[in-house]
Amino acid sequence: MRSLVALKILLYDRSTTIGAIIGVVAIVFLVGQQLSVLFGLFNYMSVLVDHSETDIWICSANTENLNSSGLIPERYLERVSALSEVLWAEPLLYGGASFKTKDGRNEGVQVVGIRNPSRAVGPWKFSQGSAESFFQYNGVTLDLLDLSKYGNPKLNDICEINGKFAKITAITQGIKGFAGRMVFTNIVKAREILNTPPGRCKAVLVKLRSKENLNAAVSKIEELLPSAKVLSASELSKKTRFYYIKNTGMGGSFGFSTLIGALVGIIIITLTMYTGVLQRQKDFAVLRALGARKIDIFVIVLSQAFIIAAIGIFIGFFLLALFLYATYESALPSYFPREVAPVLALATLVLCLGGSLLAVRKAISVEPASVFR
Amino acid sequence: MSDPILRMINITRDFHDGTKIRRVLNETDLNIYPGELTLIAGPSGSGKTTLLTIMGLILKPTAGKVYINNKDVTTASENMKANLRRENYGFVFQLAELLPALSVFENITVSSCIQGAALKPQLKKRAGELLESFGLQDCLHLQPLQLSGGQKQRVAIVRALMNEPSLLLCDEPTSALDAESSQIVLDTLKNISKDKSRAMVMVTHDPRVFPYADRLLKIENGSVVYDSNEPQRSDAV
Repeated sequence: MRSLVALKILLYDRSTTIGAIIGVVAIVFLVGQQLSVLFGLFNYMSVLVDHSETDIWICSANTENLNSSGLIPERYLERVSALSEVLWAEPLLYGGASFKTKDGRNEGVQVVGIRNPSRAVGPWKFSQGSAESFFQYNGVTLDLLDLSKYGNPKLNDICEINGKFAKITAITQGIKGFAGRMVFTNIVKAREILNTPPGRCKAVLVKLRSKENLNAAVSKIEELLPSAKVLSASELSKKTRFYYIKNTGMGGSFGFSTLIGALVGIIIITLTMYTGVLQRQKDFAVLRALGARKIDIFVIVLSQAFIIAAIGIFIGFFLLALFLYATYESALPSYFPREVAPVLALATLVLCLGGSLLAVRKAISVEPASVFR
Repeated sequence: MSDPILRMINITRDFHDGTKIRRVLNETDLNIYPGELTLIAGPSGSGKTTLLTIMGLILKPTAGKVYINNKDVTTASENMKANLRRENYGFVFQLAELLPALSVFENITVSSCIQGAALKPQLKKRAGELLESFGLQDCLHLQPLQLSGGQKQRVAIVRALMNEPSLLLCDEPTSALDAESSQIVLDTLKNISKDKSRAMVMVTHDPRVFPYADRLLKIENGSVVYDSNEPQRSDAV
């Protein structure tokens, strides 16, 4: 009966109920949207590492993130390839360059040079063309999302990157890096574009025969190459993300936005629920006079908060899903991991219940004697 | 004479008015017996409602003792008092005070289930029977807003009777009603007062009720100045 009374009062006080639901929706949607952009940027930060399908990355000493790695000797490749734990090893060239558009503008790009696209760091989604395009000497890829920035070049068009001519032999789809737009090419062309000295590369990527021996393999390679930084792919991914969050102020910025979203929601919930209780003070006094205990009033108001939270969370996630659908494969980074959804729902529920505490306090303090005055 | 349902011994009530303490009810002794319709009359601010709310275990007396069925409940906990109100009391307020969000049926059963118990079939049956006996059988699923003032007050009376209380407390139940509705409500209360297992206490200014009363109490300045059962009390004043 207490839940029924709670529900009936909510249905009766529609404007208050809608106000409180808007507060919950604001929390779920604003916080969820901020988190999805943050997770989207996370993906951009370590996109190469996360899609490399390798186990170990060998970089220059003191590497804190992939972009800060210096050049290392390419001969590391042969040395690690000789280890029994290693299935294969591949070199990687990576660096910033300038793409000259048809109208003469320069756009910054990140050139990724690889030797075998079917193994490590090959583009994982094509709109036009295929991985075979890498074997063409001048072949480069551009991403579909960025074509307008480059002046809408077409497949097989000739372009200029860092003053070197290249041919667009494939168009990737939705591949974007944190440091800039990604242009994939074969390692020979990348060396030419990036002016990398012969015998040097940015990283050596290692695939193990068995992932179970990952830590042992890392230690073994560290012993073998003491002047290099040897990191598991997951560790490099984490380090790269942490580096950007810490050094770009992004963590603080997104944390603040998330906090503001949660605060806006909790303020709306608190004020509307409190107003609702103020409007229904007489009803609570009547219930108390008729034999309701303080705990019964507590249960009624808390049930209202729970119902509001449930409806708000549902609508909030529905809107968030629409947002994610609308921004899927767009230039806006948005990615919402499934495992974050229950955490956000639970946090919203806790905030909603927390926001109702003032209303609960007011409701249980209503004097039943007031109904006689 | 049977044992009183309610005994009040040397009851006083003070209110803190900023820095001053104001006594609104002077030492009062009162016994309420089953089968009695007791009217409390007096001018505004005389302490009638204070006395009624102390009887109803809603307001705590500053001093004195309150007994329900010979059990001292003066220092009973809030929860205990809520249980006593639910099980032993029926309240009819000045303005009906139906919950506008609930239907008539939900309003009259709310006190039975407000502590979380499920609605028992016999309660549903009793609700139907009571509504029928008050001529409200067609109002079962209506909202309070759809009822007239008289109908609302009769629904409030049904609500008060749902738990078969031994004490019915009415606070000026006709003061907000027109003459016709007042008469209907008064007739209803008069019929209820014939039940000898139940006591009824009514605060009222309505002289039309006086003929139905078994007992009349007059209060002035926080003191009972007349009790029709104890004429010597009025002599003392």
